[in-house]
Amino acid sequence: MARPDWNWYLKKRKTGSPVPNRLAAGNNSVGRPFQAVVNGADSLERPFYTREFMIQRIILVVVLASGGLNITDRSAYAEDLFRDRIAPILERRCVSCHNDRQQEGDFSLQTAKSALADGYIEPGDPESSHLLDLITSANGKASMPKDADPLSAEEVGLIRDWIRAGAVWPEGLRLEEAQVNDFDWWSFKPVQRTDVPFSDDPWVRTPIDAFILQRLQDKGLTHATEADRRTLVRRLSFDLIGLPPTPEETQAFVRDPDPQAYERVVDRLLDSKHYGERWARHWLDVVKYADTCGYDKDKLRHNAWPYRDYVIRSFNENKPYARFVQEQIAGDALFPGEPDGILGLGFIAAGPWDFIGHVEVPESKIDGKVARNLDRDDMVSNTLNTFCSVTIQCARCHHHKFDPFTQQNYYGLQSIFAAVDRAERPYDLDPDVEAQRRKLDSQVRDLKAELAALQKEISDSGRPHLTELRTQVTELQKQQQVRKDPAFGYHSAIAKSRDSVKWVEVTLRQPADVSRVVLHACHDEFAGIGGGFGFPVRFKVEVTRDAKDNGKVEWITIADHTQRDFPNPGLMPVEIECPGKQIQRVRVTATQLAERKNDFILALAELELRNSTGHRIDLANDAQVTALDSIEAPVRWQKSNLVDGKWALGGDSALDQHLKELTGELQSLLAKIETPQRVQRRETLTASIAEAETALKALPSGKMVYAAATHFAPQGSFRPTEGKPRPIHVLQRGEVQRPGDEVAPCVLPLSPDADWQLESGLSESQRRAELARWLTRPDHPLVWRSIVNRIWQYHFGQGIVATPNDFGRMGAEPTHPQLLDWLASEFRDGGQSFKALHRLMVTSSVYRQSSDNNEQNAAIDGSNQYLWRMNRRRLEAEEIRDSILSVSGALDPSAGGPGFYLFELEHPQHSPHYEYHKFDPGIPASHRRSIYRFIVRSQPNPWMTTLDCADSSQSTPRRNETLTSLQALSLLNNRFNLVMAERFAQRLQQQTTALEDQVDLAMQLTTQRRPEPEEHREFTDFARQHGLTNLCRFMLNLSEFVYLD
Amino acid sequence: MINRRHFLSQAGSGFGALALASMLHRHSAAADSAAMQTLHHPPRIKRVVQLFMAGAASHLDLWDYKPLLEKHHGEASDFGEHVEAFQNGLGPWMKSPFKFAPYGESGKMLSEVVAPLGECVDDIAFVHNMVGRTGVHSQATYLQATGFQRPGFPGMGAWVSYALGSINDNLPTFVVLPDHRGFASNGPKNWSSAFLPASSQGTAVFPQRDDPIEDLLPHAKFATQASDAAGLAMLNRINRRYQSQRPGDSRLEARVRSYELAAAMQLSAPEALDISGEPEHVLKMYGLDRAGAAYPSEINAPEEVEYFGRKCLTARRLLERGVRFVQIWSGNDNGFPRRNWDSHEDIARDHGPLARGMATGTAALIKDLKQRGLLEDTLILWTTEFGRMPSTQAGKGRDHNPYVFTNWLCGGGIKGGVTHGESDQWGYKPLDRDNPTQVYDIHATILHQLGIDHTKLTVRHDGVDRRLTDVHGHVLTDILA
Repeated sequence: MARPDWNWYLKKRKTGSPVPNRLAAGNNSVGRPFQAVVNGADSLERPFYTREFMIQRIILVVVLASGGLNITDRSAYAEDLFRDRIAPILERRCVSCHNDRQQEGDFSLQTAKSALADGYIEPGDPESSHLLDLITSANGKASMPKDADPLSAEEVGLIRDWIRAGAVWPEGLRLEEAQVNDFDWWSFKPVQRTDVPFSDDPWVRTPIDAFILQRLQDKGLTHATEADRRTLVRRLSFDLIGLPPTPEETQAFVRDPDPQAYERVVDRLLDSKHYGERWARHWLDVVKYADTCGYDKDKLRHNAWPYRDYVIRSFNENKPYARFVQEQIAGDALFPGEPDGILGLGFIAAGPWDFIGHVEVPESKIDGKVARNLDRDDMVSNTLNTFCSVTIQCARCHHHKFDPFTQQNYYGLQSIFAAVDRAERPYDLDPDVEAQRRKLDSQVRDLKAELAALQKEISDSGRPHLTELRTQVTELQKQQQVRKDPAFGYHSAIAKSRDSVKWVEVTLRQPADVSRVVLHACHDEFAGIGGGFGFPVRFKVEVTRDAKDNGKVEWITIADHTQRDFPNPGLMPVEIECPGKQIQRVRVTATQLAERKNDFILALAELELRNSTGHRIDLANDAQVTALDSIEAPVRWQKSNLVDGKWALGGDSALDQHLKELTGELQSLLAKIETPQRVQRRETLTASIAEAETALKALPSGKMVYAAATHFAPQGSFRPTEGKPRPIHVLQRGEVQRPGDEVAPCVLPLSPDADWQLESGLSESQRRAELARWLTRPDHPLVWRSIVNRIWQYHFGQGIVATPNDFGRMGAEPTHPQLLDWLASEFRDGGQSFKALHRLMVTSSVYRQSSDNNEQNAAIDGSNQYLWRMNRRRLEAEEIRDSILSVSGALDPSAGGPGFYLFELEHPQHSPHYEYHKFDPGIPASHRRSIYRFIVRSQPNPWMTTLDCADSSQSTPRRNETLTSLQALSLLNNRFNLVMAERFAQRLQQQTTALEDQVDLAMQLTTQRRPEPEEHREFTDFARQHGLTNLCRFMLNLSEFVYLD
Repeated sequence: MINRRHFLSQAGSGFGALALASMLHRHSAAADSAAMQTLHHPPRIKRVVQLFMAGAASHLDLWDYKPLLEKHHGEASDFGEHVEAFQNGLGPWMKSPFKFAPYGESGKMLSEVVAPLGECVDDIAFVHNMVGRTGVHSQATYLQATGFQRPGFPGMGAWVSYALGSINDNLPTFVVLPDHRGFASNGPKNWSSAFLPASSQGTAVFPQRDDPIEDLLPHAKFATQASDAAGLAMLNRINRRYQSQRPGDSRLEARVRSYELAAAMQLSAPEALDISGEPEHVLKMYGLDRAGAAYPSEINAPEEVEYFGRKCLTARRLLERGVRFVQIWSGNDNGFPRRNWDSHEDIARDHGPLARGMATGTAALIKDLKQRGLLEDTLILWTTEFGRMPSTQAGKGRDHNPYVFTNWLCGGGIKGGVTHGESDQWGYKPLDRDNPTQVYDIHATILHQLGIDHTKLTVRHDGVDRRLTDVHGHVLTDILA
């Protein structure tokens, strides 16, 4: 694999420190990092009172009180006090809100000028200093700091002293919000490959053994003996492919005399297609993969699965890790034309997404901004947690409290994802088709530009009167007081092109003499449109005496506005004379739709008919409405609303009259400036655009994957950026209503002199490409350690670092730092092969140990962090389900494709209901491996959840392992278990006839061993009395079935 | 096939014997044990009931009387500032379609649709200055249920279960009674355990289903009482043997225990959920005296009374048997026809029946707990995701109002007949905008009553010491008795 070019990094180095300058030079106490802590925020409190300082202070205070100190001394005392003690308190507790930019409560504590300005601090007079009232606590509560623990009495005392001593603020001193700027932490240091410790102990088979043995010896621990072969093959099989070995596979290995027998099993399993199915599941746990969006509605993602299949395939193909990382962040930019480059972007889109916050709430509203901010937050944290084991999300509201990352870093990372959203995009495009698509795209663009120029020419020739008229009409329409019913009217399906033809039609039950047809437009605030919402730009109205389409319908056109734009009537009724007798049907056909918000519709509030005396014909009970299409979203929008006698009304008749006059004037002006030549040209252009767009639509669209996307079909307020990054600002306290400075994209600084800023002019995909390159730098201190630690944890039960998503100061430190670095460099420099890494780990003596207890070792290391034995583990939810299918003979091993349901799906149109209790677990389509199931985010499968399945709303670097009575009930009584017990019994009966043999086989299938004579007797007796099916049911509840020694 | 009725009558069988073993061992290491061995301070309560009105129940039409709206009804609304409505909710001011009257010694004004709670107002502390952070249902529901407006955090009941564990091992610690017509926004994620152990998650109970608790009983012809008794006994022996061959691993013992507990739960749960033995006057109090009644397809009060009453009576039975946290939901997802509180179109149509149903059941629950002496150490919280606007949406409905809404608390050391925090004259924002109440304060108060300091109940997850109250929360000391 070609190494990425690192020069960009060197080229872009800038001068100056990225960390804001802090206090004046020579002051260590403030710039000093916070210490690593054990108990969270409280222990951040540094001791403010050293003994020396206390003594010094007491003396000074005594001197002050006795009045023996001269002014200069007092001032020097206050200045020192401030620099040494007060400033750190203010920086830590106050300045994040009370700074020049934010000015909470119009008060900034950043400089002397602002701090001393408003009487909060009265030098020399603590009693009049309001600041002290605010920070002094009563009953454990103080007004300030808001929403936080109050300052300690000692801290308040110090501030009081400082004020009393004159509140001297060292000249030019500017306070900055406290931040950690210390990179002196194990995970930021370069990966150091040390020599493998020497050992002549025959137990040492691999370098891993040497490292582990050294630590065992250091701690006075001894390693365990090797597990028996039956245990080993069971362990290997579950760890590598997530399925139990068959009795034949077990027997073959147990009897194999080949000294390389073990290694051959390892290779066979790593070559199995089931390997990817097992290991992709771990990855999907970390990245929060699911097949629905989560949040309200929990809508289905029909095309999330190609990403899941991509991950499985990547593991099976042993894809080098750097490539795997790069594809998931910027595959489209780095590997153009390759499907995996797009499929990998399913990573960015894997997590939850708020449908309402994006589709129903526009980005201009606060709730819309919040939704999009949280969406980017998920992308940033997913990336940094997964690849770097950095908890960057902690820097959303304030600088990271424990690690050296600022809000600027965090929002700079958001800026990398500022132009992408989660949506479907095609991934397997034919290059020829793509060339044609680009050609047609540019044709459409050119034609549209030409059309726009023509439109401008037309309106220019009517200037300035036309513009004026239009403004007046719009203004008046806005002023109309609207009275309307929630039943707005009829609303067609949404079209992407204004030229889609749509019609709506009223059929009368009885023929009637109609003298006039009156159209009433709708009123909807959507996109600020208001009156005239959805009223067609061009249309015709026809009537007929024929009740049915019998092939020779005679339509009479009573109004034709198809050749020229019809000015939007707002709430004014549009009256059309109708010379019709015995009319049966009235049809409105729109040939040019009204624009909604970058899409197009036909909407009408009411179609009213008047008889010869001018009276309304009541259609509400006597007519039927049909249409080409309709969104049917009652109460507001439904076809029947077209004849319900309800439409929005303006309230002011003088205004209505004025509006009517202006509309008429506008209409005649339009007729004058739209010369036949211009109309002709417009017709031609419109037709050409339609033609090119039709050709575009006819092109094969490719298969779709739900992934990070910049171009996609808009849905309500959810609109593609088309690659234009949204401006990203630092948000004070993480609140969208309080934007600070705009930020440029960046990566994370991992050393004090790192250059972490990217150029702000980078395009959308370049930003992600830079991030992908940074993430795969050979000298990255986090990425390589992070991944080998994850793999280690899945094999040994706990990571070398126990917190796989957090290598920061709140995380654990490595138990075997040298081994971690050795593995990281071995993996990085040895082709980044997962399979080689697995082989290295599982062929070690450490891995082959028995899980038996040893009292002496347990007394020294009860949690087995030094691996003096193998950890016993309970199987994971997927392993249990897949094993049940496997031993029952029901497992369908087919791979890939859309997820199978384990629920009945109801009401998919609005809020899908996922009804697990209505599902029939006997359906063979559901007997596939669990990784292929359709994962519902908000309503996860209860059976799997009870067995500690990962929650796809959050990153799960390590599964919980709980034991509950509900788990017991699930495995005993769930209909899946009951159905599988039947299948299991049938299988046994098909394979062998004698009950004794059936019991024997059942035990081998579930536990890979033959039953002891006593067990055999007990099982057989039970099966005789209660049936083989019941026995099978209980065998699937054996501890030995669900535990791995 | 084993059904619920059989279970009630066979405590002496082999199955029962295993259950008995569990009951005798109650004080040995339970499978679902508490994370907190000692409380932070003496508790006032043992149990919590959370009533959640999904879709956003209107404070203005239930609890928060606004005479000014009656005076200015129909006039163009003027908020005196820019208001961002969720939809188009800035139409004219609208008075409540319901009448208000004073109740109790406190004279608290209540809407006619919650009149049954009039008898209880002197036990209730109202919080009329609740503020949310968003007008989006999903995020707001998460916020009120889990303290975070995003998915991935444990529900309050999960935190309480995690901290305090079970009072009665034979029943789930945290029970959820969802609206039987469908889940609210976010579904079971509102009561999930997220990063806490799965044992702390809410167990959904559907009293009207054949299987009120998922997998409680086997539905297969081959599974009989005899087979289950013998099978569990056999499993117990084999699993104990497996355990004895692997000393030093407490999980294996816990797993054996979990089957004993499961058997005990099979006995206890059907009994706890069976309301058929309740006396007539109790059924009547909960509005359950119209067995077999048929209801029209439109939303109607008698039907809502029966549905909600059944959940409340079930809750009382669970609470008195030692369930620690019960969450009752009213309202399904925010679709049509409305069976939820999201009354954009017509307050009277939806809020009327839903509120009458909720108030009847809730009043019965409060009175019933009180007469049994359980209200002293049971706290009831009434909540919703946000409020509704004092203006209309051009029709008879109200838009979302995340700027102010109402919660109330009752029982368990709460001062009755009082109000903490008022909304402004319109019910648009808190009267004192600088000092609103937030969900963190409610959660902090409930934890406080349970003997827990909300700042100290933390779990390290991905580098952060997570709390139910995030970095916020003050105990509402002025409503504590």
